[in-house]
Amino acid sequence: MDESTFQIDTRGEFSFPENHRFDAGFGLTEATIDYICDAKGEPDWVRQFRKDALKRFHEMPMPTHWAPEGIKDLDFDKIRYYLAHGTAPYKSWEDVPDDVKRTFERLGVPEQERAFLAGVDAQYDSETAYNSMREELSKQGVIFVNSTEGLREYEHIFRPWFGKVIPVNDNKFSALNHAAFSGGSFIYVPKGVKLTQPLQAYFRINSESMGQFERTLIIADEGAELMYMEGCTAPKYDTATLHSGVVELVALKGAKIQYVTVQNWATNVYNLVIQRGLAMEDAEIRWIDCNIGSGLTMKYPAVVLKGRRARGEVVSISLAHDGQLQDTGARMIHAAPETTSNIVAKSISIGKGRASYRGEVNVLKGMPGCKNNTECDALLINANSRTDTYPAISVHGNASAVQHEASVSQVDEEMLFYMQQRGLTRAQAMSLAVNGFINDLVKEFPMEYSVELRRLIDLEMEDSIG
Amino acid sequence: MNFPQNLSIEEAFALAEAEAKLKQALQEMQQRFDSAVLPNRYNEDWRFGQPKKYAGALAEQFAANTTNNGSVSISAPQNVSAERISAEDADLKETLMLMPTIGSDALLGMHIKRFGCGCCIMLEPDTVIDTPITITYEVSEGLYTPCTFIMAGAGAKATIIEKHICHHGATIFCTRNIHVAQGADIAVELQEAGAEQTRAFNITNIQNLGGKVRHLTGYTGHSWVREETVAEIYSAEEGTEIKLYSANKLSGNAFLDQHTRQIHHVGGAGSDLLYKNVVDDHATAIFAGNIYVAEGAHHTDAYQSNRNMLLSENATIHSLPGLEILADKVKCSHGSASAPMDEEQLFYLCSRGISRRDAQLLVAEGFLTDVRERFQSRTETS
Repeated sequence: MDESTFQIDTRGEFSFPENHRFDAGFGLTEATIDYICDAKGEPDWVRQFRKDALKRFHEMPMPTHWAPEGIKDLDFDKIRYYLAHGTAPYKSWEDVPDDVKRTFERLGVPEQERAFLAGVDAQYDSETAYNSMREELSKQGVIFVNSTEGLREYEHIFRPWFGKVIPVNDNKFSALNHAAFSGGSFIYVPKGVKLTQPLQAYFRINSESMGQFERTLIIADEGAELMYMEGCTAPKYDTATLHSGVVELVALKGAKIQYVTVQNWATNVYNLVIQRGLAMEDAEIRWIDCNIGSGLTMKYPAVVLKGRRARGEVVSISLAHDGQLQDTGARMIHAAPETTSNIVAKSISIGKGRASYRGEVNVLKGMPGCKNNTECDALLINANSRTDTYPAISVHGNASAVQHEASVSQVDEEMLFYMQQRGLTRAQAMSLAVNGFINDLVKEFPMEYSVELRRLIDLEMEDSIG
Repeated sequence: MNFPQNLSIEEAFALAEAEAKLKQALQEMQQRFDSAVLPNRYNEDWRFGQPKKYAGALAEQFAANTTNNGSVSISAPQNVSAERISAEDADLKETLMLMPTIGSDALLGMHIKRFGCGCCIMLEPDTVIDTPITITYEVSEGLYTPCTFIMAGAGAKATIIEKHICHHGATIFCTRNIHVAQGADIAVELQEAGAEQTRAFNITNIQNLGGKVRHLTGYTGHSWVREETVAEIYSAEEGTEIKLYSANKLSGNAFLDQHTRQIHHVGGAGSDLLYKNVVDDHATAIFAGNIYVAEGAHHTDAYQSNRNMLLSENATIHSLPGLEILADKVKCSHGSASAPMDEEQLFYLCSRGISRRDAQLLVAEGFLTDVRERFQSRTETS
């Protein structure tokens, strides 16, 4: 590998020159869609579905009346819509430069995951570490495939829910994803099956790399339980400028789904992800979300509480550095009686970074006994950091209770002084204070993620104290 | 240009420069009105506000009513200059043109075209008025568009009550400019009484240059109300503060659409907001507030709270409290809560022989009285 084209900086960002077997070129047209369908060998209904969505995508307006300014700079014709390197390994662990390996080490990324993140995932299917787990899963009747395979092999399971939680017409980016989706996971957990181990993208069979337009659909049948971890803890493409994924969760009666994301894309990426879950009677959906990377993130995980006593929760951490805008939040739609939801969002703005919370809580008419609690806390590190809060709360009817609190604060000088007195550098003290601020939320993340998260934050803080 | 006599060259230059700046600002503002479009569904400041229905109806009224159908009466002590304004008051019209709105520039433009009625109150420095100054605007039919100007000199203290009486089918569209100099302490109360089929639109701009301002609004009986209040702080002087209050009980099909901005241009000052609504029957209440702390406005202390009590299954509230913080070392927070009436409180009253309906009225009254008390207590602000 040519080391000169490889770049790394101190904040854990890195990039590779790319080598793809399939590349649909720039811009999105019907020809691009035909290219994608042919490359993936998709059935005709998917092809038609994509083309209908493309029409909607061109018709729909950009959400410029409310979205952050930065979205205006997005040029759809300068984006490549399909990249894949096929099934053959194109890189081995030995090819990965030492710098990257060191970054992984500092981040505490698990050994197996490092290989995946460095782009040597195709090898990975033979890893014995996950073989036993895959066998275990299939014995329980769990289907865990990529989106192409899901729609081809298990059409009867996935097609009825595909595009139902997030319809094509939902917004421009939803239409975009319906037209250009590739990658992502389709998961079905049968009735009553409770998975004790979290599922992760990187031990899927024939893993197709997580694309820019990944499509995930998780169906937990009655009484099933699972946790899914989205493995985008590091950037994978250096030219990818738009990441517009769609994640749909369906929790049938009494089911529980937890979806964990730690996002650390490069800062030249627009990260516009639509995540929405449908929770039926007594079901529970939790989004655990951490955004550290990307230039502009717009991500508002949602739960539609469709069945009685359903429960939704969003736990969100975002960190905005110089030049970054983290526009994150949560949506809770109470569409059934006695449903409850909880939103806890914490954001940190460093340097000229800007972190925003944008949320919606809606208690529909005739839905008594609903409860929502929303807490947003923002931490400002430097004098020119910025934070915003834009919640929208709608309550119809007199039998529900909704509350929202938001506060803004900064790291206490006295606290820093105290720590510096005891021999910590100012950066270390700041890092410790920031980690303290998000401590109770980090606990919600699975073990290895919380370790990684803390180290990522340490890295982010290193160059922020001047 | 007419310069006052006995000016030094420097002063004359400064004056000329200021006039040129003003002229440019006015030109810019005229462009703002010329290019403004009526609020539509893409106007985020009219989110939930049904702009097509309400802003559209208001524009039609502007087109249909070219004359002002209302009357103004003023009651003020002798040492206060309180005068009716006329279409010739050019400087007041300029003030109006510089006024900020929250998504309603097009409507303000229409309002300014009808400029020529209302009231201007000037409080000389250190004037202290104990009895409230009262302005009453009354409209029996059609559209009435008065403007109120309140200019408080340094150290002035006064309470001003503005009453709006709106008879069946009439509409009032009123603007209010409040300028408060250093050390002044001004309380402004807007009492808005409407009847069926009445509409009210109020745009208020408070410019605080180092004093204390308290502002309270209350609406009863209207079928539609929109309120836009922009409170701006320009002074880092200790004790500078703005407090915004509103207490409303809505019933029938009433639609109340309230928007506020607390803008801290400089640091060190405080602002507080408490808006409470009791919403019954098919009524709807919208609150959209925003605290904006400009870059460099450190040590700001701003709070915002919206509390709603819902009494009927057909009542609706939309609450959008917002924060935009560009400075450091600030204390800012907001809260929003919506809930039904506390059953325990009702039970307590009922167990003492009060009917459930009366008990509900009492609890609602108690819920709103708190706002009025906070507005009235001058001691609390100091």
